[in-house]
Formats: sequence, structure tokens, C-alpha cells
Amino acid sequence: MKRSLAAWLFLAPALLLLAVFAFWPVLFGSVLAFTDFSLVRPAHWVGFDNFRYIFNNEMFVTGLKNSLVFLLIVPCVQLGAIALAVAVNNRLPGIRLFRAAYYVPVVTTVSVVGIMWGFMFHEQGALNYLLGTHIGWLQDDTFALAAIMFVTLWRGLGWYMVMYLAALQSVPQEMQEAAILDGASRWQRFWHITVPMLRPTIMVCTILSVLGALKAYQEVDVLTQGGPMNSTFTALYYAYDQGLKHLKLPRALAASFIVSLVCIGIALLCLRHLKPKHR
Amino acid sequence: MKNSILFAALMAVASAALPAPAAQHIEFWTFSMKPRFTPYFEDVVKRYEAANPGVQVEWVDFPWDIIQTKLVTRIVAGKPPALVNLNVPWAEEFARDGLLTPVDALLGAERARYLPSALQDLSFSGKTYGFPMYSNVAVIAYNREIFRATGIARAPRDLDEQLTFARQIAQRTGKAGLCPALSKVDGLMLQQGLPVLSGGRAVFNSPAHVAFVRKLADTYRAGGLLKDGLFAEDNFPPAVEAYKSGRLGMLLAPPTALKRIQSDARDIYSITEVAPAPLGPTGIADGGWLIHFGVPARVPAADLPGIGKFARFLTSDENQLKFARQASVFPASARAANDPFFTALPANAGAAEKAVAAGAVSMPHSRTMYVAGIEDYDELRRALVKAVEAGVTGRQDIQQALDAAVAIWNRKLSGFLAVREAR
Repeated sequence: MKRSLAAWLFLAPALLLLAVFAFWPVLFGSVLAFTDFSLVRPAHWVGFDNFRYIFNNEMFVTGLKNSLVFLLIVPCVQLGAIALAVAVNNRLPGIRLFRAAYYVPVVTTVSVVGIMWGFMFHEQGALNYLLGTHIGWLQDDTFALAAIMFVTLWRGLGWYMVMYLAALQSVPQEMQEAAILDGASRWQRFWHITVPMLRPTIMVCTILSVLGALKAYQEVDVLTQGGPMNSTFTALYYAYDQGLKHLKLPRALAASFIVSLVCIGIALLCLRHLKPKHR
Repeated sequence: MKNSILFAALMAVASAALPAPAAQHIEFWTFSMKPRFTPYFEDVVKRYEAANPGVQVEWVDFPWDIIQTKLVTRIVAGKPPALVNLNVPWAEEFARDGLLTPVDALLGAERARYLPSALQDLSFSGKTYGFPMYSNVAVIAYNREIFRATGIARAPRDLDEQLTFARQIAQRTGKAGLCPALSKVDGLMLQQGLPVLSGGRAVFNSPAHVAFVRKLADTYRAGGLLKDGLFAEDNFPPAVEAYKSGRLGMLLAPPTALKRIQSDARDIYSITEVAPAPLGPTGIADGGWLIHFGVPARVPAADLPGIGKFARFLTSDENQLKFARQASVFPASARAANDPFFTALPANAGAAEKAVAAGAVSMPHSRTMYVAGIEDYDELRRALVKAVEAGVTGRQDIQQALDAAVAIWNRKLSGFLAVREAR
């Protein structure tokens, strides 16, 4: 009892801050999603009207579909980050430089990323030069969403690489040595020792990247603003566009509410299926 | 006793040392004026304060994309600024929502100073909602070398010629000819005399509208339209960049763009020629964009005379002229607009000076083109832009795309009209 009281006391400052700046706004925003109001008009209850509106709106429906398509980057990010972490978990000369280089996209501001990739994806940009093609990657609705997903993946790799690198370095060396003595191959050691030891990190990283993918909107804003032909709208970009660009706050809150529900649902699924079975 | 005398003396000295409270504090907001126009606005503030002792003027500048949110939150908080820079579509929406104060009484006899077209732009439901400050109008800048290589000897005279020239440029040089702002295709249709609404219903799927989009599509297919940002909310930056790098034959832009080309790409600037932008069949010039100072709602009534006086000073002939000369924009006051700076071309005029003169020719025909009075208009505009994009890029049959957009509009408009009637 005494121990749990002490624990709650230690948690209290952070919980208090979270309550004021996260829990309360989320709760209040969720309630407001069922009302109609503007900054100059008080809120009144409208039930599911905002939800009916957004589900009849092509931009939101496209956005929600695109947000789900965005989930395709999750396995790519995770596999890529594990591969990178394994690659840079070697004592090679200059390896720190590589680690830093892979981390640079994480600390680069999204506006710079937008300008840089805008040049790369340009019809006369580096990508077309390398591929020998003549495609407007961000102007053609066939490619625009994939291009944005690629940028999101590129930005996320370094972050997850660092998390996996930390997890890899905490795998006990004795287990690897014992397996070597037992004649296990490199692949067997990776699959039967490293991967199970990484499982808690895989779970956390997968949930984080699922949430990141579902909440993608910054890249959309700097690269296409939802175009061409609304093909790169994501659900959260719709919320941002309605709420902050056009001050249609009830619709923005309804869209955010749906995004939150989807996030919670998929995060629970991940928890259920990726939870380490034993430790 | 001694202590209280000492205290009273100290208080008297302290109160004498403190500045007297300002008779009126006037806060005015502009957007995207810093740092280039900081000296101009600081000078305006200094001159007004010197001429009006007791009045304290505070200038605040915001980036253009956040000024609306800032304004609404300050109005809601009951502490709006005295004056705020707005464009016409914003003002129309704010006025419709009751967030602006009509300024007819504040304009008073000085109303006659302003260009009638500017006041007309700012009149909604019979009331005037701002002090016109400056306006922009597009000119056509064209690359002489690209024109020569294509065999074109003069500037285009109408939209058809612009598109024809653009196709010819693409065929003969492989470069794009034109980059119209198709995210504002509603304004372009209106300028071309093609109505967007009639009797409260969308009508932009008529044969004339289809023919108009087809001309754009033909030019797009021929490579005559610059693809960068063709349908972007703001296609000005990619268009200017393309022109500066010699990838674009014609640039439809305000005269300010020429200053930018002059400073960033002197080689292209030296082969740039300028002409007034063609008027549409409506006689309206392309790219008209009036900026003004509006008075927000909830400004204390007692402050209004002082605010009106400052607004008239801020938009006086002298100040408008001074600002317009620095910014390469056009004054919205009749006298300032007729200043020789805008009408007479200096002997050694470069493209930037010619652009100012060309813009002055179009200025009397300048109007802000947009569809007013529709709730949630931006969403409707997007449906129209998407349909035009689908038609122009060949993703969908033009008639079908416009029909689908018209259906979306009419569904929404019938709901909007029903709500308005119910109110």
C-alpha cells in the first residue's frame, strides 16, 4: 500500500500535466465533435450530424482510405529499420557517421523535407533523371500518394533504427556465444535469439509507426496540399484543413474523433498480436 | 506624520514621472509586410502620433495564412484590433458572419477619394466594409528569346491567343508557354464571361464552359501549360521559378514579380518584355486583387471616430502613393493612381517599370473575381477545380467531370438555400 502510494505520488506531476493538456482536451474535443459551433457561436448538440457530413464528403472518405493505405509503410519501416540497425550494429570504422547520416532525416524540419523532395520528384528532378522517366510524381494522381508515403518512410527509418539499435545492444552476448558453441548459423542466431529479444521493441515501434502512419498530414501539407484532384488527402489532413485553414471546427473534431477511434482499434490489434508471449 | 508627507511627495514625483495615459490606443494589423515595409509602417505610425498627441498607434504584422484565425480569436475574446488588412473574399465572409463593422459613416466625405471600383469590391448588402489600400492587377511578362524562337512578334491580346501562343511555344521550343492559376478557375470563368451560378444553381457545365475547359486541355496536352503547381492553391511561386529559369514563355503576374525576376535572374530580366494582361470579354482585367483595412466587429463604438481618422490617414493619397511606389502595387485612391509614376514611362525603363505602366493601363478594369455569398464556398470551389483538373489532364471526359461537379454544387446549394430561408 505504502509502495503504491509512493508510486502514485511520483506519477502525480506528469499525470496532472497530461490531464490538463491531453486528457481534458481530448475528452472535451470528443464531446464537441457532437455539437455545432463556431468561434463566435456557442455550441449546441447536433448528435451525429458532423459525422454524417464528413462520411458524405468525398475528401474525408478519400482521406480515410488513404490513411489506411498509409499503413502499408509500417512493415516497410520496421523491416528497413531492423535491417539498418543490424547493419550499423557493427564495429566498423566510420560506423558512427552512418548512424548519424541515417538519423539526419528525423531531425530535418518538414518544410526543408518538402522543398528537397519537391525538387527530387519534379518532372525535371533527380528521380526522373536517375530513372530516365518523365513523370510528375507529385502532379500525377497515380503516383502522388506513393511518393508522399515514401517520404514518410524515409523520415521515419532513422528514428526506429535508433530504437532497434538500442534493443540490439541489450541482447545478452552470452546467449549468442552459447549458440555459436552449439553450432548455430548466423541466420539461426538472428531468428531464434535476436528477433525474440527484440519482440517488445518491435511491438512498441510497430504501434508507434501505425499511429504515425494514420496521423500523417505534415508531408501532405508541404508536398501536395491534398492534390492532385484530392488524391493525397489523409483523414488527419482533412481535419487540419477544415479546422485550421477553414475554421470548420466541428467537422475537424469529428474527423479527428474517427482517426482516434481507428488509431485505438489498430493499436489494440497490434498489442494483442505482437505482445511478447514470455519474457 | 513625517512619513505620510514623505510618501505623498514620493507619489507626486512618481506620478509626474510616469507618461500620461494615451487618449486612444489604436492597434492595426497587416499581413506579410515585415521586414520589407517595416520602415514604411514605422514612419506612418511616427507621423500620425506626432500629429495627434495622446494617440498611441501599434502596428502588428502577421503571416497571411494565420491572420484570419488570429482575428477571429481576438474578436471572440472581445479585444479586436482597430483595423485589419484583409482581401475581398475574406472581408465578404467576415461581413456575412457579422465579424466586420461597416465603415460608411467613417469614410464620410472622403469616400470620393477612393476608386469607385475598389469601393464596389468592398460593398456587400449595400454597406461598405473597408478602406481601400492598394490593388494588384496582372501584367503579361514574356521571354523575348522564346517568342523569337517561336516566331511570335507581339504579346497576346486575349485568352485564346495566350493559349495558342502557349501551344506554339511548346511545339517549337519544348518549353511551357503559360501557367494560369487554375485553382482560381471560378474567377477565370467569370472574367471570361462564363457564369458559375445562375438563379442560385451551378451552371458551369454548359457547352461554352466545356469548350473553355477543352481549350485548356488541348494546351495542356500540347505541353503548353506548366505542370508545376498548375492546380495548386498558390501557383505563383512555381510559375515565377519556371520563368526565372527560362522554362516558361509567358508569366501572368503582378508587377511585383518583375522586381523579383530583376533581382534573382538578371539574364532573364534583360530579355523580358511586358504588356498589359488581356481583358476578358467582360472588360475585366486578370489578377485584380484589392487589399484594404477593415474594422472588426466588437470595436468599442466610442473608439470608432478615432479609428476612422487613422484609417483615412493610413489610406490617404500621400500614404497610398508612397506605399504603392515602394511595393510596385497600385493605389486604390483616384488621385494617387493618376500619379505620373504609374502613367509616365521613364526614358531608360526596364521591364519592372514597364510592368508598373502596363498595370496602370489595366487598373481601371481591375476587380476581385470570386463567387460571393455562399456558405462553405471553398469546398464547392474545390469540387470545381477537381473537375477542371480531371478534364484538363485527360483523366475524365470534360462534360462528365463538369456535370458531376455541378451535381455536387447543386446538392449543397439547395441545402444552403433551405437553411437561409429557414433563418
